[in-house]
Amino acid sequence: MAYVAARGGERAIEQAERLYREPLGEIDAKRVAGIRQSLPWLLDRVMGEASLYDPDMAALALAQAGGDLYEAVLLLRAWRSTQPRLGIATPVTQETLFTHRRISAAFKDIPGGQILGPTLDHAHRLLATSVLQGESLAPVPVEPASQPAPARQPSLAAWQRVEGLVANVLRAEVAPEDIPDITRQPLLFPATRAHALQSLARADTGGVLALGYAAMRGYGNAHPTVNELRLAEAEVMVRHPSGISFSAGRVRVSQAEVTTKGKGGQLDLGFAATFGWNEVKVIAAATLDLNAAAAPKGSPVEEEFVLYHTEPVEASGFCIHFKLPHYVTFQSALDALRDAKAEVWEEADSQTETVPA
Amino acid sequence: MRDLSESRSHFLSTLARADAARIKTAAEALLPQLQPVEVVQSRSGLVMLPLRDTVKGCDFFMGEVLVAEARIRARGAEGYGMVTGRDLAHAMAMALLDAADAAGLPETAAFAADEAARHAAEDRATLCRIEATRVEMETF
Repeated sequence: MAYVAARGGERAIEQAERLYREPLGEIDAKRVAGIRQSLPWLLDRVMGEASLYDPDMAALALAQAGGDLYEAVLLLRAWRSTQPRLGIATPVTQETLFTHRRISAAFKDIPGGQILGPTLDHAHRLLATSVLQGESLAPVPVEPASQPAPARQPSLAAWQRVEGLVANVLRAEVAPEDIPDITRQPLLFPATRAHALQSLARADTGGVLALGYAAMRGYGNAHPTVNELRLAEAEVMVRHPSGISFSAGRVRVSQAEVTTKGKGGQLDLGFAATFGWNEVKVIAAATLDLNAAAAPKGSPVEEEFVLYHTEPVEASGFCIHFKLPHYVTFQSALDALRDAKAEVWEEADSQTETVPA
Repeated sequence: MRDLSESRSHFLSTLARADAARIKTAAEALLPQLQPVEVVQSRSGLVMLPLRDTVKGCDFFMGEVLVAEARIRARGAEGYGMVTGRDLAHAMAMALLDAADAAGLPETAAFAADEAARHAAEDRATLCRIEATRVEMETF
């Protein structure tokens, strides 16, 4: 490793930062509130990748970064490290989720029924260019049903276990303080399931989509069907000093189960969940979970390959570090190249000399 | 005993979800009756949120939730508040109402009942909007 000292760089660096920030204009609470109101799906994506849930902080990070997602995630991850950890909530289970959307592509008649919830799945995607001519685009109000949807539903996997379609699991009870945590432990392979699912929850949406899509197109060993896709709100159950558990509030979460026909006459399942409502991410991540067990070494769905290459801060940081001065290492490569060329020329010269006249 | 802890849990959850402006107003109104108030803690921090995977039943961390926390002592009772977000005043107001409830002040129950009714109405309205998106799939 060699270092480069830059002279006269302080002023240039300061002006470069100003050049970046100046066009963003003044950032105030109004702008942050506007981002929070108008871009909830983007906030969800950023909160998931930052693995920090707070829509105000996510909106502020996006405002400061001018919408650069990797910068926003980096800001939130860095800020998170300044905050004390006050506790661990009770693990969220499926039947406690306040469910807004729950669909299955594998089974049409699922217990509780198919609830589309908020989605553009079956809508035309048309750009409203008239807005740029001064017209406004006002959403058409929902016409509510007379009766409420069931708020809480078990997972589809639980129903399938009863039906004998998927294998029963013998789960080991783990105290919340003993759940493996990659923010405090290194990610080692083979990874524990808790580390793998936590890594996927924090993963870069684009990264897991690229690898999940590769698996779907045939570079994996299992083709997925969405068993259950759910968008919901989870209660953050914390403890009062008296020991009584209560909800400090709700957070948006998304989760997906994907399935394929297993070898043992039952269905195999993959799972993923993340903060915020981000369907693409959880379907792709669950597909990677489904593929992980039988993935060949070195394949794009192998767990080590997936988890190392979809960590957004490490991946983006490593990528952009290449633009920083590499003069010494590159000079070394250049010297090697020149030496090789010189050797070739010398050899050519010597051959020319030995050719008879 | 279980009913008591369930009702305390519901009471605390209702305070945490209460409208921030309303709970602050309610806490301010109770303040003269709670004096002297000692603030033991007022801070923001993170709570890890685990989720249970439905495939293997494995608990894993989805990430951290920003919360505001407050602890107080008032009229010989302790009060505690924790709410998602960074509204320290909301957490403090919750702690004051918790202490007031522990001290036997009757106003807190009325406030919590009013808020709980609002939350139930909000949830019902949300679920009726969700129910409007129910589909029956048919295959041909």
